[in-house]
Amino acid sequence: MSLQDAAIVGYAETKIVEKSDRDVWELGAEILETLLDRTGFEKGEIDGLLLSSSMTGASNAFWSQTTADQLGLELDFCQTVDIGGCSPLGALARASAAIDAGLCTTALLLYADTQAVENNFRMRAFHSEWTVPYGLLGAPAAFGLLSKRYEHQFGLDYAALGKLAVTQRQHALLNDNACEKLRKPITIEDYLNSRMIADPIRLLDSVMICDGASGLLVTGRRRAEQKGITKIVVPIGYGERTNFRWDESIVDVTETGHSVAGKRAFAAAGLSPRDICSFHPYDDFIIAIMMQLEMLGFCKHGQGCDFVKENDFAYTGNLPLNTGGGQISAGQAGLAGGGTNLIEGVRQLFREGGARQVKNTKNALVTGIGGIPYARNWATSAVMILTPNA
Amino acid sequence: MTAMNDTLDVTREPPKPRSHSLPYWEGTREKKLLVQYCRRTGRYQFFPRPTSIYTGRRDLEWREVSGKGKVFTYTVARRARDPLRGHEPFLIAVVTLDDANVNVMANVVHCKLEEMKIGLPMKPYWMPLANGTHLLMFEPDREAGAA
Repeated sequence: MSLQDAAIVGYAETKIVEKSDRDVWELGAEILETLLDRTGFEKGEIDGLLLSSSMTGASNAFWSQTTADQLGLELDFCQTVDIGGCSPLGALARASAAIDAGLCTTALLLYADTQAVENNFRMRAFHSEWTVPYGLLGAPAAFGLLSKRYEHQFGLDYAALGKLAVTQRQHALLNDNACEKLRKPITIEDYLNSRMIADPIRLLDSVMICDGASGLLVTGRRRAEQKGITKIVVPIGYGERTNFRWDESIVDVTETGHSVAGKRAFAAAGLSPRDICSFHPYDDFIIAIMMQLEMLGFCKHGQGCDFVKENDFAYTGNLPLNTGGGQISAGQAGLAGGGTNLIEGVRQLFREGGARQVKNTKNALVTGIGGIPYARNWATSAVMILTPNA
Repeated sequence: MTAMNDTLDVTREPPKPRSHSLPYWEGTREKKLLVQYCRRTGRYQFFPRPTSIYTGRRDLEWREVSGKGKVFTYTVARRARDPLRGHEPFLIAVVTLDDANVNVMANVVHCKLEEMKIGLPMKPYWMPLANGTHLLMFEPDREAGAA
């Protein structure tokens, strides 16, 4: 199968900062150089480039071309993946497919954004007519609406959600690349008492927009072997769903595309939720973590809060969660932020987690959430299962 | 009781319609709520799109509905984007329309926080815009059982 013939041979990540004093391409150059240093590949061997979405690059319809120009890359294949927070996972799946199809042999996957200092994005969707006149503050308000509905159907245990926030924050304290502003311990009381943004979404439910970059170097497994590289991570299962149940006018918004994307990823990997060794879900808001636990089958629909209370999500626990702090406690590197939890999953499987290394590295599950649609939950759901050299 | 800002004193720029949403905005001149109806499936859709989300075919028609409905979910916006920045807190609700079975998002006016709940009956409130069209909002429908 094409996905499993791909090999991640290296990962790289800049520090996540509140406001970058370096250009987005300089961050990209740091990622490229780190990957070359760590893998022994030469620049000339890279013939593919896949980029995540980027708010800084959002005004440039030639983003992958011009980024390749800045980095001095001559390529057989390049593209920007534009499914928001799912872009980094989507780029890994598309790079694997491109390598398998012979479009390129070795691809740089670059997730770089400096949204906090240079946001060039202009939305062209439903917003100008259908939400802007109502003052909707994008994602926080959308998650406020979603959370109220969840609470109505199943009840919400905010202390359970707070437990997830606290666990991720403790992980960020162990992550030198996490945004310094967020590297302060919090308690469940701090979470509960943090100010409301869009009821019942609190400040400590939410990501902070930051600047940063991350990336992977992906090649074919045979090519990695030829290079004598034995330390690799392989994508063994992937599922992606955009516009889940879009031919229904009213849906249960507590159900998400992760239900179908997860089934597909688990089937390809030959695994089930109980086999997962570490869990790196996309976290734009805390409740999204809990909803993904339900949709991926770790627990039943509507029982996420109970599952959270019954399990230990610390890096030493039975289901380690976003061991670098997640985006909520490490900072969201704009639309490249989906790379943060992916890179952490790869780092753990390379057994380079340092002070936060998880014990069991047979696999890692990473997810994506991308795009906020009108009066639903999210547009794209992605699920990737990774395993070390197997 | 916790008063919410009705934001009716905040000027909104009239949205620029797309070719496929123009009939909706023209309807609001007379405070008519027009919703797209798919003839092949007998189902409504909102917001207006260039094709039927059910069939991918373009034989849609516009049907006027009452605009009455019930709250599907809501939030209190305590931080907002322009033009409503500085006018928080105010209510945003998603309302399921009784006679079209679609969800519509809008501000809610004339409603205290304690009164707001999922399932609360709503009716349209039309806020005038500078170009003669109106912006759809909702208010509790007290005749339909809102306290």
